[in-house]
Amino acid sequence: MEFAIDYVLIPFIKILVVFLVVSGVVAYLTLAERKVAAFIQVRLGPMRVGPYGLLQPIADGLKLMLKEDIVPSQADKWIFTLAPIITLIPAFIVLAVIPFGPTINILGRPVSLYITDLNIGVLYVLSISSVGILGIILGGWASNSKYPLLGALRSAAQMVSYEVALGFSIMGVLMLAGSLSLVKIVEAQKDAGYWYVFQQPVAFLLFFVCALAETNRAPFDLPEAESELVAGFHTEYSGFRFSLFFLAEYAGMIVASCMAVTLFWGGWLRPFPNVETFLGIPLHFLDLIPPVLWFAAKVVVFLYTYLWFRWTWPRYRYDQLMKVGWQWLLPIAMANVIVTAILVLVLKG
Amino acid sequence: MGPQHPSTHGVLQVKLKLDGERVIDARCVIGYLHRGVEKLAEAQTYAQYVPTLDRMDYIAAVSNCLGYCEAVEKLLGVTAPPRAQYIRVIMTELNRISSHLLWLGTHAIDLGAVTVFLYCFREREEILKIFENYCGARLTTHMFRIGGTQYEIYEGFQDQVRTFIKGFPQKVDEYETLLTENRIWIGRTRGVGVISGKDAIDLGVTGPSLRGSGVQWDLRKAKPYAVYADFEFDIPVGGVGDTYDRYMVRLEEMRQSTRIVAQAVEKIPAGPLMAKMSKIIKPPVGDVYHSIEAPKGELGYYIVSDGSTQAYRTRVRPPSFVNLQALRKMVAGHMVADVVAIIGTLDIVLGEIDR
Amino acid sequence: MKVKRPQLTFLKKLFLVDLIKGLFLTFSYQRPSLNYTEQYPKVRPKIAERFRGAPRLNNDPENGETLCIACNLCALACPEHCIEVGWERDSAGKKVLTTYIFDISRCMFCGLCEDACPTPCLELTQDFELSMYGRRDMKWDRQKLEEGNQPVVYTR
Repeated sequence: MEFAIDYVLIPFIKILVVFLVVSGVVAYLTLAERKVAAFIQVRLGPMRVGPYGLLQPIADGLKLMLKEDIVPSQADKWIFTLAPIITLIPAFIVLAVIPFGPTINILGRPVSLYITDLNIGVLYVLSISSVGILGIILGGWASNSKYPLLGALRSAAQMVSYEVALGFSIMGVLMLAGSLSLVKIVEAQKDAGYWYVFQQPVAFLLFFVCALAETNRAPFDLPEAESELVAGFHTEYSGFRFSLFFLAEYAGMIVASCMAVTLFWGGWLRPFPNVETFLGIPLHFLDLIPPVLWFAAKVVVFLYTYLWFRWTWPRYRYDQLMKVGWQWLLPIAMANVIVTAILVLVLKG
Repeated sequence: MGPQHPSTHGVLQVKLKLDGERVIDARCVIGYLHRGVEKLAEAQTYAQYVPTLDRMDYIAAVSNCLGYCEAVEKLLGVTAPPRAQYIRVIMTELNRISSHLLWLGTHAIDLGAVTVFLYCFREREEILKIFENYCGARLTTHMFRIGGTQYEIYEGFQDQVRTFIKGFPQKVDEYETLLTENRIWIGRTRGVGVISGKDAIDLGVTGPSLRGSGVQWDLRKAKPYAVYADFEFDIPVGGVGDTYDRYMVRLEEMRQSTRIVAQAVEKIPAGPLMAKMSKIIKPPVGDVYHSIEAPKGELGYYIVSDGSTQAYRTRVRPPSFVNLQALRKMVAGHMVADVVAIIGTLDIVLGEIDR
Repeated sequence: MKVKRPQLTFLKKLFLVDLIKGLFLTFSYQRPSLNYTEQYPKVRPKIAERFRGAPRLNNDPENGETLCIACNLCALACPEHCIEVGWERDSAGKKVLTTYIFDISRCMFCGLCEDACPTPCLELTQDFELSMYGRRDMKWDRQKLEEGNQPVVYTR
């Protein structure tokens, strides 16, 4: 009975909650993108559907579901249908290891606010995200048309290049925390008394830039830029299949933000996590805010930054993009690893 | 790159010969917007033809009007009175700012900076409001008549123009903050689409595209028309001749136009609005070529008159048509993503090219 | 004058100063009070007085008769030949207007007819909402020109 509750019922409820919450966030992220873009551009964004446009994602979802199902005549039908699913599922599966909060007591039973604590959490995240690239290549290939194929190949090459620098940038954090498990990384930050971004600022910037390139967002969004290849790998997709690609992009953004928060910004920790006073000011009032809300607030800040970057800067040309990835980010990431290793050895004995 | 493409600024088809990602050759196919504007001139009288010309360069319609009215006035041998000339200069310079704002917005959005587009259109909206208050239309303005202007300036005109001019240089600084020193923008535009001054002159390129390559040639200073000789302004000239230089030249031209308008709006002389001429326009037999500095280059009109109320032949020398010839030289050796930037930097409008 | 060609210094490049300046600018626009949009069907736009919109034939305010003297100058002035004026002579030999057809599907709203009219009769109003269901509805006769376009008003 205990076994059933602990290992079947509670995880099932956690999965359901995470899935529903993240789906809702993904849907409203599309609205937030349009509203933030509008405010930056001195206009209003969606205002007609619902008060201040708040029901817009529902209208968009309904529209995409009811659209005509078009499959190009020469396209490979099974792979054409499978590709968006292959892109979407990894983005949601990765959420299984992300710690949303510490272990709390609900109804007298200790419940951990993460679905599972895998002791190779970081490796799991990196490898599952790479599966998403397969979906893009399949989507471009199965469309049997020149623009999607070019877009898919470019997209895949870009994502693979920036994965390398991404992996290197995480290594500094792993050296400081001493574990691959995401929960242990957060607890290591709690033990240290400050978030890792203060010890690894360069690695954080690298991580964020690589995350921008991984999710095909500006300034690295040439593969899907309208002005050149119409719409890249999802040119031939319409209706529900397109909505799956679209949701996969936003889910990828959320996952990248969650990872950045967990690895560098202390996960669910409050500022000055283990410290009693700062310059004589007692910090207990910060404990009043539950840790899940700290996590959510930090993720929201990162999501806003994603949108902010897209609507401010122009986009890189493809060869410049690859140059930045291989000639600039990779050496800086490697140098960061070396410097961190030396400092860890020297300062921690 | 077919006629329906989000970045070819109209219905332009460019046939690119590629070697992998590099462009070897480019051929433009035009004519998708041909409406027979020059043929229409044979059926309409001189005064009736003026509104038809607004539809040619629909972005900056005031310049078209000005060029044609001045050409016919040259043929007739009349000059518009000074009050009309000053109003013409103010409106034409506001029109130049509006055209460059639209160019900047579309160029930036082709290269990914979406916000600049919206900011430019906000400023352009102010100018279009001034146009609407003055003549009744925003885009196809039909502002001037042969012999002067029809509309008297409205009440509050000078205040509205002054308010606009006071706030405008800060807005240009905002565009510069977003673009000029931005490393992504610099990477996309420096060294792209270089054309030397000599090649530009050989191809007949005029306007900011010519001045970006270092050639100091502006019809407002070289062969002054209207009352441009009364005003103090500089001609910005580039050094290298790439896309970045043309961008800086047009940005600086916006500032210089603001300077001209600021000077002109203070000293509009009193007087009549139309010159003394007969109601029916029947110029003597002869021909005339008159050109002005439109925002896109040298806009010329060649009118042949056979003594009747309708011109025998009206030929328009559109600046974009001649500038487009430079595309072939500019894209050689670049990548496909740069073709979009180069088409944008030439500042073409298909209404003019195809007429 | 030579245009500037700024070179980024090494420190500026290292600290991403140019990128951050742009970010601050767009962030500073993040308030609804700076909004420039008019929510059109709910909020009526402000149209200039001289706006060249739909044509209208004015009547004399005192006796309600038309001010048109059937001189045909508007039809002669129109570049698109979209005006047709019909008249007859009355007992005193003066011209009286009978029919007036204005085809707004061909009209380019240039204002030449308004300029040509010697009386204050023909006027281009501020009406710009001129969608019709068919081409026939776009040939306005005298009655429609005098009354003006009365579109169906939707409340929502």
